[in-house]
Amino acid sequence: MTGTLLKVEGLETGYGDIQVVWRADLEVRQGAITALIGSNGAGKTTLLRALSGLLPLRNGAIFVSGRDLAGASPQQFVEHGVAHVPEGRRLITGLSVHDNLMLGAYRRKDGKQAIRADLERMYALFPRLAERRRQDATTMSGGEQQMCAIARGLMAAPGLLLIDELSLGLAPAIVDQLVTTLERVRADGTSILLVEQDVGIALELADFVYVMDQGRTVRNGPADEIAADPSIIAAYMGT
Amino acid sequence: MLWLQVLVNGLAVGGLYACIAVGFSLVWGVLNIINILHGSLIVLGGYLAFFAHQYWGINPFLFAPLAGAVMFAGGVALQYCVINHVMARPFLITLLLTFGLNLFLDNSMLALFSADYRKVLLNPAPGVFDLGSIVVPADRIYATLVGLVLISALALLLRFTQFGRAIIAVRMDRDAAALLGVNVRWTYAVAFGLGVFMAGSAGALLSAIFPISPVASAGYLSKAFVICVIGGLGSIPGAVIGGFALGVIESFGALLLGPEHALTLAFVLLIALLAVRPSGLLGRQGFA
Repeated sequence: MTGTLLKVEGLETGYGDIQVVWRADLEVRQGAITALIGSNGAGKTTLLRALSGLLPLRNGAIFVSGRDLAGASPQQFVEHGVAHVPEGRRLITGLSVHDNLMLGAYRRKDGKQAIRADLERMYALFPRLAERRRQDATTMSGGEQQMCAIARGLMAAPGLLLIDELSLGLAPAIVDQLVTTLERVRADGTSILLVEQDVGIALELADFVYVMDQGRTVRNGPADEIAADPSIIAAYMGT
Repeated sequence: MLWLQVLVNGLAVGGLYACIAVGFSLVWGVLNIINILHGSLIVLGGYLAFFAHQYWGINPFLFAPLAGAVMFAGGVALQYCVINHVMARPFLITLLLTFGLNLFLDNSMLALFSADYRKVLLNPAPGVFDLGSIVVPADRIYATLVGLVLISALALLLRFTQFGRAIIAVRMDRDAAALLGVNVRWTYAVAFGLGVFMAGSAGALLSAIFPISPVASAGYLSKAFVICVIGGLGSIPGAVIGGFALGVIESFGALLLGPEHALTLAFVLLIALLAVRPSGLLGRQGFA
């Protein structure tokens, strides 16, 4: 657990004339699971879109493994090891599970053998996907689609996986299964930045937590410290 | 026997018609552009084949992929440098742009090649296959076979390669495709280039069967349009079914209503189909 994989400083971004993120500062350490929590409309998804090159920056800096990627295209982010699992899964309709996973490896240049090996690794990690590899990916259940989206992200062989809304719309049993899988993914060497509305899940899975409010990162700390903070519990967990 | 002969005549051009339409369908399905330029590109492919035959004696049926390849490069450049700038604009803007490009190309060809109808005259003439009670024109069979080979190659490219998957991904969800590392602009350009490839090949194939002239471009465009709507937009099998369907409809239309009304029947059926089943016979999303 040494070294900073992703460093964001004073990031501002938004859509057209509408600024959404006013100041985001965060760090993802190598080998860690970092969670970003906050209420609806706090700017979490918008921040994540900027961290994968989908939105231009108005201000601030993004460093991936020390390299400045401010203003880089989505392809460049993928090439530098940042894969983004978008909110709502966004699997490609009309393509099978296999084809969706292969698209995850679109930017890879390390050869067919390595890609094939990773494909088998994904099927071992998510046996349900192996059973359904020929099925149109968007006809699967929500949980299976989330597995496919995560596996597709991992097919890029990323150093950092950004996951937007892991648990949204999924049954608790499926979420538990995904949490266990993500712990394995981290153990295999991929760091994770997770955006999650369900604060209970975020605090269970993450080592370190950032809290976002009205477009700003307002607090951060180790997960157990944030979990023990009565004001966080009052604001985000009810009761 | 007359009916069988008429049916065979229609089927014989089916693959060529499919080839005329499949590029139009690809560009419409993937880029959401109604490419008014498509008919002019077919005519340009016809001229390339005509001159290749005239100066170097190359058989147009063999020249077709080469004509396509030359025009592919131009298509990629046109999309990347010109049409890409209006991709995010409303549908009518791209329609207007390709309409303008169509006027430009048609009139350039008029200035360069004149409006005279020209046709590749093969020597020896391809003749017919005599099957006893019916005869099958050989030139149409060659065109249909080459057309079907090219369409199959396109289908395999889209279905089994990373680039084919990227084209479908861009079609279905451009942001998701970008997040996977797909260069959306470049993918659009190559997809458009593939549409131009098919148009150029189709033009070369028909240069030995139908007379070519810049004033014929609107006719080919309307054929492509009818085929796409009959077969269903955004699917290669749809374009193939539509191509054979149009061939047969025209053939019977000429028999029943006279040759000058061959297309009338096709358009009447088109209107009926639009009213009853607007998605076409095999219409679906995704182009694969």
